[in-house]
Amino acid sequence: MTSFQSTLEDEAGIAEELAESQQAISIAEFFEKNKHMLGFDSGARGLVTAVKEAVDNALDAAEEASILPDIYVEIEEAGDYYRLIVEDNGPGLTKETLPKVFGKLLYGSRFHAREQSRGQQGIGISAAVLYAQLTSGKPAKITSRTQGASEAEYFELIVDTDENEPEISVEETTTWDRPHGTRIVLEMEANMRARNQLHDYIKHTAVVNPHARLELREPQEHFKFERATDQLPEETEEIRPHPHGVELGTVMKMLSATDSQTVSGFLQEEFTRVGKKSAESIIDEFRDRHYGREMRWRPPASHEDIDLRSSITDATVNKGADATDAFADAIVDAVDDRDRIAHHELLAVVDSAADDVESEHGTTFGDTVRENAVDVVWRALIDAPGDDATGEGDETVDFDEDDVDSESRLVADLYALADDATSTRKDDEVIHAFAERLAAKFEDEREEGDEDALTRHRLTHKRLRSFVDRAADLTEEYDDVSFGDTARENVLEAVWGVMATVPDDPPLVREFKGDRDAASNLVDGMRETDIMAPPTRCLAPITEELISAGLEKEFEADFYSSATRDAEVHGGDPFIVEAGIAYGGDLEAEGSADVMRFANRVPLVYQRGACATTDVVKSIGWRNYGLDQPGGSGLPNGPAVIMVHVASTNVPFTSESKDAVANVPAIEDEIELAIREAARELKSYLNKRRSMQQRRKKQNVLGKILPEMATKVAEVTERDEPDIDDAIARIMNNVLVERSLEENGTSQAVTVTVENNSNTSESLEITDIVSAEPTGLPDDATVVEMDGEWFVKWEPDVSSGEDAALEYEVADDAEFDLDVKGVETEKLTVTDQ
Amino acid sequence: MSADNDQQAREQLIDLAAQFYDQFELGEIPHMSVPTRTKNNIEYSEELNVWVYGDRESTRSANSVRGARKLLKAVYTIEFLADQLEQDRSSTLRELYYLSESWDNKEAQFNDQDESNGLIEDLEIVSGVTREDFHMRPEESGAKVMGPLRIREQTNRGDRDIHCQLDVGQGGYQIPNNPDTIEFLDNDAEFVLCVETGGMRDRLVENGFDEEYDALIVHLGGQPARATRRLTKRLHDELDLPVTVFADGDPWSYRIYGSVAYGSIKSAHLSEYLATPEAQYIGIQPADIVEYDLPTDPLSDSDINALESELEDPRFQTDYWEEQIELQLEIGKKSEQQSLAARGLDFVTDTYLPERLSEMGVL
Repeated sequence: MTSFQSTLEDEAGIAEELAESQQAISIAEFFEKNKHMLGFDSGARGLVTAVKEAVDNALDAAEEASILPDIYVEIEEAGDYYRLIVEDNGPGLTKETLPKVFGKLLYGSRFHAREQSRGQQGIGISAAVLYAQLTSGKPAKITSRTQGASEAEYFELIVDTDENEPEISVEETTTWDRPHGTRIVLEMEANMRARNQLHDYIKHTAVVNPHARLELREPQEHFKFERATDQLPEETEEIRPHPHGVELGTVMKMLSATDSQTVSGFLQEEFTRVGKKSAESIIDEFRDRHYGREMRWRPPASHEDIDLRSSITDATVNKGADATDAFADAIVDAVDDRDRIAHHELLAVVDSAADDVESEHGTTFGDTVRENAVDVVWRALIDAPGDDATGEGDETVDFDEDDVDSESRLVADLYALADDATSTRKDDEVIHAFAERLAAKFEDEREEGDEDALTRHRLTHKRLRSFVDRAADLTEEYDDVSFGDTARENVLEAVWGVMATVPDDPPLVREFKGDRDAASNLVDGMRETDIMAPPTRCLAPITEELISAGLEKEFEADFYSSATRDAEVHGGDPFIVEAGIAYGGDLEAEGSADVMRFANRVPLVYQRGACATTDVVKSIGWRNYGLDQPGGSGLPNGPAVIMVHVASTNVPFTSESKDAVANVPAIEDEIELAIREAARELKSYLNKRRSMQQRRKKQNVLGKILPEMATKVAEVTERDEPDIDDAIARIMNNVLVERSLEENGTSQAVTVTVENNSNTSESLEITDIVSAEPTGLPDDATVVEMDGEWFVKWEPDVSSGEDAALEYEVADDAEFDLDVKGVETEKLTVTDQ
Repeated sequence: MSADNDQQAREQLIDLAAQFYDQFELGEIPHMSVPTRTKNNIEYSEELNVWVYGDRESTRSANSVRGARKLLKAVYTIEFLADQLEQDRSSTLRELYYLSESWDNKEAQFNDQDESNGLIEDLEIVSGVTREDFHMRPEESGAKVMGPLRIREQTNRGDRDIHCQLDVGQGGYQIPNNPDTIEFLDNDAEFVLCVETGGMRDRLVENGFDEEYDALIVHLGGQPARATRRLTKRLHDELDLPVTVFADGDPWSYRIYGSVAYGSIKSAHLSEYLATPEAQYIGIQPADIVEYDLPTDPLSDSDINALESELEDPRFQTDYWEEQIELQLEIGKKSEQQSLAARGLDFVTDTYLPERLSEMGVL
């Protein structure tokens, strides 16, 4: 270091020399060197990312215009390059915006909006254009036709990396058979090694966008994914930021941009979920941080030798005896009425007493009189010596100057607080010594800027902490006892708790500008205040129904389930987690289950291992849900697909390429709950399937054993073989009584189904004993309550080969016990779970 | 062991198979009910003075895979037994287990010998024919008798007349598996003395106790085989001899006495045929441990559990046994028969047995 400095001294021109080589870098140039950050790190991956960016854009564009998306993706070999064509039926782009959308990085409508959408930064598609031009040197060819336009616009453009502006080489009008939409053609150096990821991306996109029609044509294969629904996702609304999720820089920017004059107005205007009350709470929190609180001391008790009344009358001159007495009485009464009183509260008391006496007695109580009164009372409260400087105050305080060692009122007050706050194990002596030291800190306190003024005991939390720490440190040092962090914290909170928020007006918005500390206090205040969770109309979950529909559309499975959680908040951004599971059927039975990850309806195909979703799936004990899980942790095995969708106004990704959801505990918790919800249905399905398998196995074994037994019996008895059909029928053709439950918020829908597989008509007497009151029973069922149990009686007649069902609603924690009569036990199978 | 007897046993077995046949024909699910063979399901028969099974039944039904397998095995076993009777052959329980390996149907083969033993017990109960009449033998042979008794045994090699003191060696006469093949010719016996351990039996024989007191010394050898119990019963019933049991002073020995006197839980269906309710217990009694100050071992946890379970066993619910068991639980000790040797080798024959037998009114 020293040698370097000496060099600097010797050659003073080096800084200038160095400065010459410093220059601004355009974002486009930056990207050129850091392609991997956006997912263009290799030819294989670059192609997938380009498809992904183009398709995401196309879906967003169509949905925003309430058009059911119809997207065509084609990849073809073009000499040394690959040609990517993506065509959509979106609203099209105007001649003015089109070049910027494709030819300028960080241009977009989404970045500032708090609304769920696929793209956010405005990097994606222009990055694809840039990647294409960097690798093939060819411009992007874009055709776009807006709705109702008679002709389409055709552009050929590249990104000017120096300026981060589009550089248009061809601009003309052309004809296009689509009535509206956009088509982009990119040529790039690429390869199809990531074919699987490409297919996954398109297929997964089709799963979570059942309202979209997708077509992919690549050199080897051709897929079409038709719509499963004509229902567009619900339109999202943009919301203002939530006070819990904003950072200091953002708030400072908002402060300089707002039209509001007052902080309260600013808070209500610029944030979601902040009304007058919340704004006031935030401002109170701000005041505590910015101005500090004022200590409230106890008013004098009767046994204390303090005569406030005469002190006040002594301090009040030339106001007539009646008025003076009335003034003194009003103040003393008001002070005595309070448990504790702070300086600003005393000011208010004195003002109100003065105003009352003024109007009653017609005597004017000017500022000086009021100040004197406040002064003498406050001195008495804090045991301060009389102030010689103020003349009138002399002799007014009943303060025993001889007995300087007598204990200050503050000590007694602080002792009581500290004694309550610390553990009973602490010695009284020690607490007392501590209280004396703490009181001394208060007594030494001086007003900032006016050292001579009587202190108001106005302290910030931080300053109070320094008082407590100092007093505790001294106590530890001199009394040789420990005064630990917990005790300090307790005392601090006890004292802070009795202190009063000051009524000072917060600074105006313009005063905040440039006052970083004040703004920081405001942000802290916003975080501390309880504020309702942000609204969720900015989110568009896929919904349970459509998740199942999407899975059914793309996977030939035996079972599908799905769950959509309620919205939660992380960092001011609301989010919703959804999960879906498909099981069995044509799904791959070997190896582990597939995990499909989605963020805002966009499939995440890379960095599976870095994603919170994968972590959560691995952490779940899948054996509980009937799936094979080697070692009891990790991905489950078997023919299953597990999908998770995180929808948020701001999905936290691990990197700009948006491949993996970051490990945010609030989101992980919701992911887990969503998966478990869907997995519970899988479990009951698998249980049922297992019991059916056992039944089939039994039938197979019995179907073999019984004929053998019959043959043997015939041999032993030397008779013809008996007819065993009836006996077998008896064993096999059971009447099945089954219960199924469907959760429905805090209640559950119960269905008891009777399935008559026998060849005779059956009359059953079913009694379902329920631990909570069932509702919505059909007419043919009766319910009787006994000792907190409800006996639901139902007597259906079920003909051969027919089904019957009993349905009702009951609280979700209810327990059941099913009793079935009227059918011979040999013919009855009851599945009650 | 007449051919008639065999014929009858065979018919009863085939009737059982016919029962399954009829159940099939009627469209019923084939089933077979047998009394539950647990302690909770035995009760005292006033009429027979022995303990027999109560009313609780277990059903083997073809409604379940397990039940169907059991019944299939039962039918295969019935066929085997019927053939065995027809050919006048016999086999052991263990042979039956191995023999099932040769059956053409894998489902009918036994998994272990407990299963085949249990099935034979089922068939005994349901058909009312004893195992011996099925020509099924247990592995262990019956125990030995020594004393002034002359018998005639029908053997495969013709009838043999044997005197159980004069014609036998130090080991005594071997009781055959089916003691009903024995005919009692004549005897000079005064009583039957059943002895639990081989060591004590040898001591009594060496000391000439059987000669001196005209005792028929029957070696039980732990839990007595059916043949031993059957012979004891016949000695009591046919020769009108008092029966006494001399065993160790611990809960397991009381159970040995219990099975001689009252029948065992597993063969309660044969109690009438095997049990000798008049049998008296000599000792070692817990009272003897105190009276003769015998060397002892402390009761183990399993001993205590066994004693407590005996207090609930209907077979031991008499004043005598309750008193003795409670005494033993109180002193917390047990003694073996051979602990009497602490007083000298002749103490048992010169002092203990004569004293106890006189007390009991046998001598």
